[in-house]
Amino acid sequence: MIPLKFDYEVAESAQHAVELLGQHGDEAKLLAGGHSLLPIMKLRLAAPTVLIDIGRLNDLNYVREDGDKLAIGAMTRHTDVEHSDLVKSECGILAYTAGLVGDPQVRHRGTIGGSLAHGDAASDLPGVFLALDAEFKITGSGGDRTIAAADFFEDYLMTALAPDEILTEVRVPKLNGAGWSYRKFNRRAQDWAVVGVGAILERSNGSISSARIGFTNMASVPVRASATEQALSGASVDSIAEAAESAADGTSPSSDIAASSEFRQHLARVLTKRALDEALSR
Amino acid sequence: MTATQAPGKSVGAPISRVEGHLKVRGAATYAYEHRLDEPAYLHPLQSTIANGRVAKIDASRAEAEPGVVAVLTHENAPKLEAVGDAELEILQNGEVGFRGQFIGAVIADTFEAARYAAGLVEIEYEERETDADFRPDRDDLYTPEQLNAGFEPDTSVGDVDGALASAAVKFDATYTTPREHNNPMEPHSSIAVWDEGELTLYESTQGVYWTQNTIAPLFGLDAEKVHVISPHVGGGFGSKGLPHANVVLAALAAMLVEGRPVKFALTRHMMFSVAGYRTPTIQRIRLGADAEGKLSAICNDVVEQTSKIKEFAEQTGTSARMMYDSSNIQTTHLLAALDVAVPSWLRAPGEAPGMFALESAMDEMAIECDLDPVEFRIMNEPEKDLESGLPFSSRGLVACLREGAERFGWDGRNPTPRSERDGRWLVGTGVASSVYPVFSMGGNAATIRADSDGKYVVEIGAADIGTGTWTTLGQIAADELGVSFEDVEMKIGDTKFPNASGAGGSSGITSWGSTLVEAARSLREKIEAEHGGNIPDEGVEASAKMPKNPHRKEYAMYAFGAHFVEARVDEDTGEVRVPRMTSVFAAGRIINAKTARSQFMGGMVMGLSAALHEESVLDTRFGHVVNHDFAEYHIPTNADVGELDISWIEEDDPYVNPMGSKGIGEIGIVGSAAAVANAVYHATGTRVRELPITPDKLIS
Repeated sequence: MIPLKFDYEVAESAQHAVELLGQHGDEAKLLAGGHSLLPIMKLRLAAPTVLIDIGRLNDLNYVREDGDKLAIGAMTRHTDVEHSDLVKSECGILAYTAGLVGDPQVRHRGTIGGSLAHGDAASDLPGVFLALDAEFKITGSGGDRTIAAADFFEDYLMTALAPDEILTEVRVPKLNGAGWSYRKFNRRAQDWAVVGVGAILERSNGSISSARIGFTNMASVPVRASATEQALSGASVDSIAEAAESAADGTSPSSDIAASSEFRQHLARVLTKRALDEALSR
Repeated sequence: MTATQAPGKSVGAPISRVEGHLKVRGAATYAYEHRLDEPAYLHPLQSTIANGRVAKIDASRAEAEPGVVAVLTHENAPKLEAVGDAELEILQNGEVGFRGQFIGAVIADTFEAARYAAGLVEIEYEERETDADFRPDRDDLYTPEQLNAGFEPDTSVGDVDGALASAAVKFDATYTTPREHNNPMEPHSSIAVWDEGELTLYESTQGVYWTQNTIAPLFGLDAEKVHVISPHVGGGFGSKGLPHANVVLAALAAMLVEGRPVKFALTRHMMFSVAGYRTPTIQRIRLGADAEGKLSAICNDVVEQTSKIKEFAEQTGTSARMMYDSSNIQTTHLLAALDVAVPSWLRAPGEAPGMFALESAMDEMAIECDLDPVEFRIMNEPEKDLESGLPFSSRGLVACLREGAERFGWDGRNPTPRSERDGRWLVGTGVASSVYPVFSMGGNAATIRADSDGKYVVEIGAADIGTGTWTTLGQIAADELGVSFEDVEMKIGDTKFPNASGAGGSSGITSWGSTLVEAARSLREKIEAEHGGNIPDEGVEASAKMPKNPHRKEYAMYAFGAHFVEARVDEDTGEVRVPRMTSVFAAGRIINAKTARSQFMGGMVMGLSAALHEESVLDTRFGHVVNHDFAEYHIPTNADVGELDISWIEEDDPYVNPMGSKGIGEIGIVGSAAAVANAVYHATGTRVRELPITPDKLIS
């Protein structure tokens, strides 16, 4: 209910945040929207001694066009992504999925960068960014770097961010007419996904040129449905049902009180088929 | 609605709750919010083992922490009287009977200091093996002497075995319901203050006198030395019926800091260990019927759980004794006593799990007999209460079933499972009956004072746990006094008002209302006889006790209801949605159409929740509930609840009480889970006999 004691610093810029991280070492955590961090601090699952508030870095709150990509500032709120005309027209899966995160309060405070840096594979956005082959821009004491989504999520709640690094921007490709879908299964409205599936389907001449499929909550990190993706590469649109049968191949999701591992695999197959069908029709 | 009601015409009107504006503005004072000088704050120490004893407890680091006033342990706790209640007699030795049991407390100047210092207390245990495994094949199951509310554990009428052997249609299946936790929005809260040997408790309770009568003997006090104040309560669902150990802990702690108020509110996590819960049940239902579908045998054999330190035996099988007609009826109850927290009341203890099993089985039996489940129930309607042999004071089940079928659009239903679909959704409908006894509780008195300006003040130590008592009692009093509702001021929720039973067993209105009617009659007679029909300038008052109801020996008294549910099941994922539910109740005269509707609705949603969501998962190795918060203990949100069509039939029952009302707090939950399960079966062809109905159970 109440976190352990912590100090509080306000970062005036991304560079300042990096400096503060350098001063306080790995006991510091960045505070963005706080809607993942503060609950786990209240449950005392996390006990950072310093919070560095990056909530005032308004220059990291943007959605921009950048050639064939969209650049989204890390401090952009879920609700701003959800309602951005640019995101809706060029990367609809992202706007749609941002609208499924938590509840309205969470979406108005929580940020895209915060959700990714928290690295929870049960959150809706990481799997979608993975399916999008997104790139993440990072600033740290060693300078700037860019990392692919596939290399960003390392383990349960662990990412490639070093203790003195800050995620500043995410870049996603414009979908350019590719079909998309995100299917979330939960038993209670506004709950975490038991399983979620994001799919992006590119078509040419009546067949599928590529399928990119990312899972929510099927492993300790967001993962791709590799077998199904391979089966669909260059395949006929009629092969979706068969390809979806292999969606859970190679996964070993956890069993918990929301679902058994086997039922999650079942859901992964069903939802993958539904996502692919919807992506095809979109 | 707040329109003025004509004198004598308040009962039945949908009057908005009189204290509603206080609650909306945050101005209603709940237990924890009473402003007292220099309060101290309590954070409990809870056992981290399920069975054993505290071998060593070192509070020195906690005591040295700034702001800490005292640390309470079994080594320094004041002695309690031995009343034979191991749940309440805490800190009298180091024994531990379940995980989460209170073994001490830190009292500090701030909540934060208390909580922090609690983590500094070093505790060593001598642990004994934990036995928390609830199974029907244990060799130590036993029959309790009596069930909750005094019911017999085992009953037998006729020859069930013989009837089953010769039945043309036989049915035998086992149903299970899980452990469920009450979880009112307001957690249990207390402020305890001792002053010259008297204890004042600002409490969140379903009955100020129930609290007084339980707490006073523990501290060796006459009842009137314990003052209990509880004007507003944020729900209870039974868990605030009788006080739990949190009240004792607050009172013990307050003794260490005499004169200073000690505040203690349970956290949501603690609600899953110390505030009661519904036992899991395993129920074997056997039914026999002749070729026409007339029942010849009804049998419910129940296995359920209790705690080793204190027995609570839920009356799960009692509804099977009176619900349907049969010459041969048998019910049994066996208990497993485990190293677990003490189970207790949860909305409709007995009926809620019992009617899930019976009403599911009735659905299955109707199918076996090739009969419509509504007609099957109606043709097995009994003429009298088979348990007591008495006639029913009124029995509106058939009317509820007929009315509900009409409102829901039941006629023409294709009984074949999986006969309707909407895309990937399988669509089904189900029905179940509901029942709840009309309980009456003793020990009630009331005082009414009339002032010369025509205003009346009514005092009774009753409780409003969110049910609308502040309003409904005013309606009853106004009508009996023959004045308008606005001229009556209620005073409840405090032991400074006359003795009253609590809000439990849906008995509140019957018990308090009967008392108010008697007091109002006394006052009117007094005004007539002593003052010539006019209220004197100095005012006049009269008091009365609840009169005995002579009809209780002549009639069996129950409320009834019928639920109709449409369920939609995604055939690929097993997702269940309930887009609509129609429930009709026969609950005597409805006192307030608005608050009654809320009560019915809350019960129905709680039944829906039991059907699809609620399950406290116990880690049998360590004896604790794993999903002890609202993230993991699922209750539906508004978005999960479909359209609710709620109504009641006009029922004139002159026997139950002077108002003609029956309790309505619990009947909404009874049978509603079965109606959902029956609709899910009709949609899918899959019968789920283990609650909750999670998606995986519908995917083969």
